Amino acid sequence: MSVKMYRTQARVVAGVCGGLAVHLGWNVRMVRGIMIGASFFFGAGIVFYGWLWLLVPLEGDAPEQGGRLLDADGNPRLALFRPAPEAFEKDNSGNSNPARKPVPLGFREVAIGGALVIAAFIIFGQQQGWDLRLGTLIPLLVIVLGAVLAWMQLDDTRRVGLLSATKMNTPIAMLRLGGGLALVITGLLVIVAGSGSWTLLWSSVVASLAVLAGVGLVLAPWALKFWSEFQSERAGHIKESARAEIAAHLHDSVLQTLALIQKSAHSPTDVTRLARAQERELREWIYQDSTHKSGALVERIKSVCAEAEDIYGQAVEVVAVGDTELTERGNALVQAVREAVLNGVRHGGTAVSVYVEATAKGVDVFVKDRGAGFDVRTVAADRLGVRESVVGRMQRNGGTAEIISSVEGTEVRLHLPYEATATEEAK
Amino acid sequence: MTMPATPITVVIVDDHAIFRSGLKADLDRDILILAEAATVEEAIAAVTHHQPDVVLLDVHLPGGRGQGGREVIAGCTSLLAGTKFLALSVSDSAEDVVSVIRSGARGYVTKSISGAEISDAVRRVAGGDAVFSPRLAGFVLDAFGTAEVAVEDELDKLSARELEVMRLIARGYSYKEVAKALFISIKTVESHVSAVLRKLQLSSRHELTRWAADRRLL
Repeated sequence: MSVKMYRTQARVVAGVCGGLAVHLGWNVRMVRGIMIGASFFFGAGIVFYGWLWLLVPLEGDAPEQGGRLLDADGNPRLALFRPAPEAFEKDNSGNSNPARKPVPLGFREVAIGGALVIAAFIIFGQQQGWDLRLGTLIPLLVIVLGAVLAWMQLDDTRRVGLLSATKMNTPIAMLRLGGGLALVITGLLVIVAGSGSWTLLWSSVVASLAVLAGVGLVLAPWALKFWSEFQSERAGHIKESARAEIAAHLHDSVLQTLALIQKSAHSPTDVTRLARAQERELREWIYQDSTHKSGALVERIKSVCAEAEDIYGQAVEVVAVGDTELTERGNALVQAVREAVLNGVRHGGTAVSVYVEATAKGVDVFVKDRGAGFDVRTVAADRLGVRESVVGRMQRNGGTAEIISSVEGTEVRLHLPYEATATEEAK
Repeated sequence: MTMPATPITVVIVDDHAIFRSGLKADLDRDILILAEAATVEEAIAAVTHHQPDVVLLDVHLPGGRGQGGREVIAGCTSLLAGTKFLALSVSDSAEDVVSVIRSGARGYVTKSISGAEISDAVRRVAGGDAVFSPRLAGFVLDAFGTAEVAVEDELDKLSARELEVMRLIARGYSYKEVAKALFISIKTVESHVSAVLRKLQLSSRHELTRWAADRRLL
């Protein structure tokens, strides 16, 4: 089963059944059988077929090519992550399973078979005594056949490209167009001429409208084609400008950083710091989610962690669950977090994990490092860092701070209940 | 260097040759690399052919229908009993992580992870356990909610213990530290994490499905 449906190139008429079979993961014969079977119920199968034919793109058509510049989630891929074009060609050839090559079934055979089936159906119907009105049915069939002939042209032109299509330089193409037009017009004329009971004026109006409609029907593929060409052209432009933007961004940021890294290759700390800062910046740029509405608290915590990362060249991983608006007390919390993180990277000297959980009750922040740890009681009184900036600040704002330290590392646990619950407790 | 009787066999799937060779150098000696692949098609062929214990699978891959790692897992569903997938990505977007887990991966780690950690993760996954990074634990807590809520289906909520384990992992605790903090054995921690993984894969909790639908993952 595949997510997006395409009409297959290995086709008998328009590749709808094959594409549907791939899409649903069914056997293509089964799909064809169902489609043909459904056609006998007021032509539902035919209508459905035509509908899919119109709306589903052909495999390997222009939109898919564009899609390759996008990753699995539709985000633009960076050029770095985009494989060379040759790889795609190889994939495509690898994709076309030789076992599913088109059955060498000529259109003629299909047409004859189809005509025979329809004829059998009509004869069967007449034997059953149904009022089939052959005078209407046969012209209708002729119209359908003409339209199919004309529309089959569309896929051919899609493949050979617009220019050769408009030139119409192959005799077969001319024949198809002419034949389609002739059949449709004849069919319509027969229908119109058959309705002799109408007034002359009325019938001529209907006739001209009908002819116009027939011509429209035949020309519609070209109109659609032009429209889709126009669309893909426009999409191409948009993609091109997106790429230009990405290129400009990469130049401004990544290339500069790479140059700096080369210059400071002697210092691992500098290299790590530069790489981390660049990574963070690039991530922010790639994964910025414009639809995701976030409160300001997590953002602030992330930015103070980034600052600590820049100063000491140690990774600070922030994992956040939920988010909330940034209040004045929240600001105090952020400052306490900053102090705790700075302590972690400074004294712990290892990567620091920060976990923020904003729930309905309050905000919890955990800052963990894997340094040697320290004894909280032995911290000198003049060392304001922990005592004042973390514990004191949290207490002043109605929160709590706890520091657990062992030889395996230190964890600072900060809790800040929400204003509402805090005032309720006060009452 | 002595090799254990049965080394863990691995196939590496990543489209960056530099990363693949770095990973090969980083992995411990008791982990045997059978093959490498760079595209979805190559990956499916290599995994089907070698049937390794573990597949180290990049989330973003060229080829196929543009679904990357998800497509590789989907192409190897018949092997899921014997072959475990460990997703590996530079991306930390929730979409990538959760989608690949819901496709059937047994764990998720970021590419910045150290060689020792990744070897450890491979062994853990090969042993049938799940590997959660702090960030994945964060996603789980985000998707399932941190509050106790009454839901009909057991699959749709985390037990109090599972919540505790997820919180500790999100806080950067190793499995060993989680076990110590909660006074339980490492095996128990592993079984809690596996249970969470199962819920993450099977849950139809509406927050999770809506969350996934919003991001076109279904």
